[in-house]
Amino acid sequence: MPQVEGSPGSSMHGVTGREPVLAFSVASPAVPTDTTAKFALPVDSEHKAKIFKLFSLANPHMRTFHLSWLSFFTTFVSTFAAAPLVPIIRDNLNLTKSDIGNAGVASVSGSIFSRLAMGAVCDMLGPRYGCAFLIMLSAPTVFCMSFVENASGYIAVRFMIGFSLATFVSCQYWMSTMFNSKIIGLVNGTAAGWGNMGGGATQLLMPVLFEIIKKAGATPFTAWRIAFFIPGWLNAIMGILVLTLGQDLPDGNLGALQKKGDVAKDKFGKVLWYAVTNYRTWIFVLLYGYSMGVELTIDNVIAEYFYDRFDLKLHLAGIIAATFGMANIIARPFGGFTSDFMAKRFGMRGRLWNLWLLQTAGGIFCLCLGLVNSLPLAITFMILFSVGAQAACGATFGIIPFISRRSLGIISGMTGAGGNFGSGLTQLVFFANASFSTAKGLSYMGIMIICCTLPVSLVHFPQWGSMFFPPSNDNVKGSEEHYYVSEWSEEEKLKGMHQGSLKFAENSRSERGRKVASVSTPPNTTPNYV
Amino acid sequence: MAVPAGFLVISLLLSCFAATSYGVYFSSLKETLEVTASPTKGQVLKAGDDKITVTWRFNQTYSAGTDSDYKTIKVKLCYAPISQKDRSWRKTVDLLKKDKTCPHKIVARPYTASNNSFTWTVERDIPSAVYFVRAFAVNAEDQQVAYGQTTDAHKSTNLFEVQAITGRHVSLDITSVCFSAFSIVSLAGFFYMEKRKSKASQ
Repeated sequence: MPQVEGSPGSSMHGVTGREPVLAFSVASPAVPTDTTAKFALPVDSEHKAKIFKLFSLANPHMRTFHLSWLSFFTTFVSTFAAAPLVPIIRDNLNLTKSDIGNAGVASVSGSIFSRLAMGAVCDMLGPRYGCAFLIMLSAPTVFCMSFVENASGYIAVRFMIGFSLATFVSCQYWMSTMFNSKIIGLVNGTAAGWGNMGGGATQLLMPVLFEIIKKAGATPFTAWRIAFFIPGWLNAIMGILVLTLGQDLPDGNLGALQKKGDVAKDKFGKVLWYAVTNYRTWIFVLLYGYSMGVELTIDNVIAEYFYDRFDLKLHLAGIIAATFGMANIIARPFGGFTSDFMAKRFGMRGRLWNLWLLQTAGGIFCLCLGLVNSLPLAITFMILFSVGAQAACGATFGIIPFISRRSLGIISGMTGAGGNFGSGLTQLVFFANASFSTAKGLSYMGIMIICCTLPVSLVHFPQWGSMFFPPSNDNVKGSEEHYYVSEWSEEEKLKGMHQGSLKFAENSRSERGRKVASVSTPPNTTPNYV
Repeated sequence: MAVPAGFLVISLLLSCFAATSYGVYFSSLKETLEVTASPTKGQVLKAGDDKITVTWRFNQTYSAGTDSDYKTIKVKLCYAPISQKDRSWRKTVDLLKKDKTCPHKIVARPYTASNNSFTWTVERDIPSAVYFVRAFAVNAEDQQVAYGQTTDAHKSTNLFEVQAITGRHVSLDITSVCFSAFSIVSLAGFFYMEKRKSKASQ
C-alpha cells in the first residue's frame, strides 16, 4: 500500500520527542535488524540506527548526532554572543535602551523565516549541505561585528546572525535520516536541549574572552570586537567538520544515491490547511512563545540585568546568566519526562495539566525575579524560572505530536516560529522601553506568562478530554481513529493515504491514561485496502 | 527549634524584599568645594588624546572648621542629563552608593584647602557623551561629606563633550574580511568538488 513518504513535514517527524520519550533502543522483534549491514550500531532495514549510544562517535549515526547538535549549539553561541557584552557595546556604540531592545528583537526575528525555508533547503540539498551552508554563510555576519559603529549597524548585524538559528531544522531533519523513528524522540529531544545550551555557554564564554583579550593589552572598545572572532571561527570550523565528516544518509550522500520506489507525495496545500484550521495549533503557537520565547528573551537580557542591578563584574554577571541557559541540559528532558509520567496515569489530561503547571510556575518565578533586591534570592528565582520555562518547552513537544498526524511537521515548524515570535514580542514590549526598568519588565513578563498559559485549558481532544472536561462519550466521535482520520477526504482514504494515521491512532490509545479499556471498533471506519 | 528557624527564614526573606536604604544621600551634602575644569563650554575632546586640567579648592566663604573631617578628594567625570536620557544604567539616584552619574575616576588626592590641580588625559574607554566634573570630599570612613562641581545645580551649564574612539582598527577589518572570504570560498569549493566527483562517477 502506498505510504505518504516525503510529504511536507515528514522530515520533522520525531522533532517532537514523543515517540516514545526515553526509549534508548528498539528491541529486535519490534523492528527487525538488518544483519547484512556493517555498521557499528545495529540498524533497521533503512540502515537507521536502532540504539542511541551517547558516548560514541561511530560513523555515521552517532557522528551525525554530535556534528548536528554541535552545529546548533554553535549558532546559539553566535546569536547570543552580544548579550553578555552589552555593557561594553552600549558605551562604544552610544546605544539607548530602545536600541538594545530592538537589537534583541532583531536577533530572534530572522530565524522565524529562515526556519520555515530550511525544511525545503534540506529536501533539496540534504541536511548536511543545508547545515553547512547556513553556518558557513553566517560566519561572515559574525565577523561583521568588527565593522559596526552605530546602533543601526549593530541591529542589522544581529539580525543577520540570527538567521543561523534555522540549524534547528537541519539538526532534527538530519537525525531523522539516521535514527529509527522509535528512538528518534529521545535523540531529537537531547539534540534540541543541548543545542539550546549554547545560549547559556555564550554568557560564560564571551566575558572570559573579553577579559583575556583586555589583559593582553587591547582597550575595551577593541577587545569586544576581537572577542567576536571566536564565535565566527567556531561557525567556520563546524561547517568544515560537517562537510568533511558528515554524510546525509547512513549509506552515503544524497547526490550519490538514487531515489527508491514510487512515493505518493502529500499536497502541501492540504497539509497546511489542516495545520492552520486546527485551533489547537494556534494555542500552542501562543504557548511556546511564552516558554521558548521567554527563554530566548532572557538569554538576551539577563546578563545586563545582573550587571546593572547588582553591580557585578562582567564575567560574574556572565556566569550567573549562563546558569539559566545551561539548565537546559536537564530541564527540557525533565519536562518531557513529567509529561510521560502524568500521561501514564491521567493520559492526555495529565499532559495538559503538567504543561500548565510547569509554565505557570515559570511565570510566577519570573515575576519574583523582577521583585527581589538581593542577589542570592534573584539567582534562586532565576534558576527556578529557568527550570519551569525549559521543562514547559519539553512538555509542549510532548503534546504536539497528538494534535495532528498529517500536518505534524508544519505544526512543529509553526510552533517553533511562535517561540521566536514570542521572544521578539516580549523584548519589544518589556525591554526596549525606557519608561520602565528591566526589573519591572521581568515582573510584567512573568504576569504575561501566567496569563498566556491559561489558553491551554481550552485545548480539548474529543477522545481524551481537556483540563476541565472529560472525553466525549460518543462511540464514534470519541475515538482516536475518528479524530486522526478526519483529516483525510474520502478520495484520499480510497487511495489508502490515511493508513499511517490509522496506525498512529491505534498507538495513541495510551493517551487515555489508566483506563485504556478495550474500545469496540467504531462503525464506518474505512476498511483496510491492501 | 522549628519555630525560630522559620521566623529566621521569613525575616531573611522580608529583609531581602525590603529596599536597603542606609548610606549617604547626595542631597545631604554641602557644595563647599570650588571646582573648575579646563574644557570650555561645548568643547569636544578626543578620548586618548586630549587632556583635562582640573583645579579645586575649599570655598573660603564657609566657616573655618567645616572642612575638618575632609580626608581625601575624589575627582570624577560625570554624565550630563542629556547623556542619561533613555540610558537607565547611568541614572542619577540620591543614595550615593546606588548613584550611577559619575562612574569615571579622574584622580584621588589627599585633601588640602587650596592649590590643587591635576591634568588628566581622557582615557580610551570613556564613551562618547556630554560631561561635567565633580569632586567629592571623603572622610576617614570613606563616606562622602561634601562636593563641588563645574556645572550648576541643574547640570545645564559649562558642559563639554568627549568623542570616544571607535575601537575599530584597519587590521581588524582586514582580518575579518579574510576569514569571511575563507568561509565562503571553502564552502563553494567543497560544493563544486563534490558536484564534480559525483558527475565523474556517473
